[in-house]
Amino acid sequence: MKIGVMVLEGPYQHQAADSAYHFVKAALARGHEITGIFLFTDGVNVGNRFIKPPGERNISQMFDELGQQGIDIVACTACAKFRGMKRDLAVDNVRLSGLGALADMIQNSDRFITFGD
Amino acid sequence: MKKVVVLMRKAPYGSVYTAEGFRSVMGIAIFEMDVVLVFVDDGVYALAKDQNPEKLDMQPLGEGFPMLPEFGVKGFYVHQPSLETRGLSVDDLVIDVELLDDASLAELLANRGTVLPF
Repeated sequence: MKIGVMVLEGPYQHQAADSAYHFVKAALARGHEITGIFLFTDGVNVGNRFIKPPGERNISQMFDELGQQGIDIVACTACAKFRGMKRDLAVDNVRLSGLGALADMIQNSDRFITFGD
Repeated sequence: MKKVVVLMRKAPYGSVYTAEGFRSVMGIAIFEMDVVLVFVDDGVYALAKDQNPEKLDMQPLGEGFPMLPEFGVKGFYVHQPSLETRGLSVDDLVIDVELLDDASLAELLANRGTVLPF
C-alpha cells in the first residue's frame, strides 16, 4: 500500500513526531511504500539540524535517516518562515516546498495519516 | 480524484490548527482536489459570526470561510451535537452549512477516505 504521512507537531513537546517515525519504520518493515512525509506547522522543526538532545534520541537525525532511505520529506516553506527555519538550518534530507507537495502526496497515496495534537 | 476532508476540531485562536487547516484547504483546493470542510467539537467556533480576535493580535478567521467556494471547496458540514452543546445554532454561523449527526458524520468521513485533522 502507498502511505503518505503528515506531522503537525514539533520535536519532544508531543509524541506526534516520534509516532510518525515509528509508524513509517513499521510500515516499511511490512513492505508498504511511503509516498512522503509532510512537515506542517511546528512539524518543520523536526528537520532542524542543530537539534542536539543530551543523552536522548535525536529526532532530526531519525528523520534524516528516513530521508537517506529515499523517503521524500518536505517541510512547508511558509511554516518554516514563521519559525525562522531556513534551508541551511535543515538536515540534508528535508526539502522545503509548498502545499502543492502536500496535495501531490495525498493524490499519490492509498492512505494518508496525520500525526498531531 | 481523491476525496479529502479537512476536519476542524479546535477553537480558532488557542492554537494555530484552525488557521493552518484553513490555509491547507485553500492550498489543496487550488490543485483541483475534491475537498470539503467538516467542523466538530470546538472547531464549530471557527464559523461563528462577529469574531474579534484583534486584541490577541490574530487575524479574524470567520470571514474567510464564505469565500472558499470560489476556490473550489465543495461543502461545509457541521456536527450538530457539537454546535448545540455550545449553545450555537446555524443562525450564528457565517455560512450556510449542512448539519451532521453522529452517524452521518462517521459515514461522511468513511466515504471520503482521506481525512486531514486539524
